Amino acid sequence: MMPCWYYEKKELKNTPSTLDGIDYETEMRYRKEGARFIIDTGSKMDLGYNTTATGVVYFHRFYMFHSFKQFPRYVTACCCLFLAGKVEETPKKCKDIIKTARGLLSDQKFTQFGEDPKEEVMTLERILLQTIKFDLQVEHPYNYLLKYAKCLKGDKTKLQKMVQMAWTFVNDSLCTTLALQWEPEIIAVALMYLAGKLSQFEVVDWVGRTSKHLRWWDMFVEDVTMELLEDICHQVLDLYSQSTTTVPDSPPLLPRGSQLPPSTPTKPTNGQEKSTTDMLPPTTNPAPPPEVPPYPYPAMPPTEPYAHGFPYTAPPIPAPHIAPPPPGPPPHIPAPPITVYPPPFPAPPHYPPIPPNPPNNFYTPPPNPSAPPPSLRPPFYNS
Amino acid sequence: MQSSTPRESHPHPVMMSVKEKERYIENFQFPYCDESTKYEKVAKIGQGTFGEVFKARDKSNAKKFVALKKVLMENEKEGFPITALREIRILQLLKHENVVNLIEICRTKATQNNRYRSTFYLVFDFCEHDLAGLLSNVNVKFSLGEIKKVMQQLLNGLYYIHSNKILHRDMKAANVLITKNGILKLADFGLARAFSANKNGVPNRFTNRVVTLWYRPPELLLGERNYGPPVDLWGAGCIMAEMWTRSPIMQGNSEQQQLTLISQLCGSITPAVWPGVENLDLYKKMELPQQQKRKVKERLKYYLKDPYACDLLDKLLILDPSKRVDSDTALNHDFFWTDPMPCDLGKMLGNHTQSMFEYLAPPRRPAQHMRAHHQLPGARPTTSAVQDNGYQDRVF
Ligand SMILES: Nc1ncnc2c1ncn2[C@@H]1O[C@H](COP(=O)(O)OP(=O)(O)OP(=O)(O)O)[C@@H](O)[C@H]1O
Ligand SMILES: [Mg+2]
Repeated sequence: MMPCWYYEKKELKNTPSTLDGIDYETEMRYRKEGARFIIDTGSKMDLGYNTTATGVVYFHRFYMFHSFKQFPRYVTACCCLFLAGKVEETPKKCKDIIKTARGLLSDQKFTQFGEDPKEEVMTLERILLQTIKFDLQVEHPYNYLLKYAKCLKGDKTKLQKMVQMAWTFVNDSLCTTLALQWEPEIIAVALMYLAGKLSQFEVVDWVGRTSKHLRWWDMFVEDVTMELLEDICHQVLDLYSQSTTTVPDSPPLLPRGSQLPPSTPTKPTNGQEKSTTDMLPPTTNPAPPPEVPPYPYPAMPPTEPYAHGFPYTAPPIPAPHIAPPPPGPPPHIPAPPITVYPPPFPAPPHYPPIPPNPPNNFYTPPPNPSAPPPSLRPPFYNS
Repeated sequence: MQSSTPRESHPHPVMMSVKEKERYIENFQFPYCDESTKYEKVAKIGQGTFGEVFKARDKSNAKKFVALKKVLMENEKEGFPITALREIRILQLLKHENVVNLIEICRTKATQNNRYRSTFYLVFDFCEHDLAGLLSNVNVKFSLGEIKKVMQQLLNGLYYIHSNKILHRDMKAANVLITKNGILKLADFGLARAFSANKNGVPNRFTNRVVTLWYRPPELLLGERNYGPPVDLWGAGCIMAEMWTRSPIMQGNSEQQQLTLISQLCGSITPAVWPGVENLDLYKKMELPQQQKRKVKERLKYYLKDPYACDLLDKLLILDPSKRVDSDTALNHDFFWTDPMPCDLGKMLGNHTQSMFEYLAPPRRPAQHMRAHHQLPGARPTTSAVQDNGYQDRVF
């Protein structure tokens, strides 16, 4: 049975959690919290954006097969990050991930990890692997953003600003289920489009433009309607309109209608607690290790302007509250410079350029099995 | 706050108890990960550092055989081994006639007996032989055209994996499989890795503790960490020679001795023949025999006879990795384009009705003329007391 990792909206409303009595909004919040927690843990541990994003995608896929009631989200989140670290060649020890998680979670949330947290994560890893069909390689929109950006013409500074903003949107999109709905290429196009609108960077010309192309993205993706792009943008923007007041904090893993156990009274957050939308780092306990830079992740904008629909027609000056991405990408998921990655083997004189086959690697579509075998070429002395 | 529920006294009302979780796992039908009971083990055909390999029959198709490679997890502190993850990821990426095909990954059911920890198996299309097994059977005779076919397929496989930015890093005869129809498949990607991670011109820092010693190229023995496809081509050269010598040509028993053997065959390792070698970490630490003449052709012509074969081998066993021939160029070598042309192995293999694997074969005899040049015996037992066709198991 071949897995398909893309789902219809209808299917996203009919998940194991739904069937288990968790309502849609709550599930989306759990997903968001889990994803945010993976991002936070990953950034604390200096894991790159690819590792973090891969972990988040595993997380979303996992809960297409299991319910949040059966598997508490922070344990799953740790497990996903643990596996993603190994897959992306940035392995972290399980105990270190748990230690970092311990620092980010309240005592109450950490009870999810049970008596033996490491054992809990290890056992879950096998379940995770089976659930995701050992389909380990995941692509993300980041590389597409960079690829597209290289083709766009216009003011360099503005372009850079736009890419940084798009980058931030991609980070935030991990907290939605977009990765379960659309290919990374399409998400990249949509969020670049959004960033273009917001940063008032209108793309009028691009490298490789032909008369067939109405929009720059026609070069890269086919049949993407405006309706689809706007739907994707809205899903990201909706994140920013969920204000802290309506959801003060992640409630414990309780079905609606039940109550917090008396043994764990809701205690005031102590700084370890992060509210769902406050992206500021914990300022107290535990102190971030010295090498971790202060954490100027752009604050989520409050609800105002976008709560009433995104102003597609008259894009405002990037509203001050859409905290513009900091100069340079958000530190925890740094955007690489908009330059072409040098070929992995920087063609040192002695490694001859890779011939005919497209330069495949893990981040490009699977190899073309029908690539002409080199041996079929006539011997050189015939040519 | 809502009204109280009967669950309120329980500290973690909705988390599953350990028991509940175990039952849940036992009963969950993972839609994408079949149980290994769909296969029936027939025989053990391999034992490596990372686990056992079995030949097995597909219960739903009695004619279909597979190889099951067990993922060893017992001694893992960090969960599912990163090496197995790499192997899986790489095998999922590589789909080519000359690369072993990974069908799926199977699991045993999690039960109380295994402490709710499944065992995983990599499931491959079954290949009837491995090259080490074939070479150790003197009744298997390769004609020149057949040897060309083996090497052509091997280089084709390397060309493909290198084009996909994968290094094999464990080339040796036991990791080269051959089907009964004579199709060669590169196998054992347990040490393979992508070499695309070298971003922004920063040199790679790969481990150099790869490749079975006898097939390990000089750059790895000297501590190079920013290596590339040439490491696999050195191995291809060692295997090529072995097609005639029938046993590994340089059987060192230490890294130092391996370097000595290489120098004795390929000439002294000096900056003159290999500019930059003096900068490798171990260049000064290892004892490198001086004044050695290169004798590749001289010593192997006794076996190879064909001058084109000697010439290609000479280019595969070049000390300086930057000068070593690549797979594309090698495939264009006259060796493959002169009579006798590469010819199908199916007919010759059709004469043999037993599987030949290194694991099942008696230890191989040394190649007398090659052995004469080094004093110490190889690490592998090399007694000739075993019958030439002394296979224990008849597995196909
Ligand atoms: N698909 C297959 N068909 C037939 N035999 C196989 C197959 N895969 C492996 N084998 C046999 O099993 C042996 C060991 O397999 P493999 O080389 O993949 O594992 P390993 O040597 O244990 O791994 P490692 O070298 O990473 O420790 C091979 O040398 C070969 O004889
Ligand atoms: Mg092997």
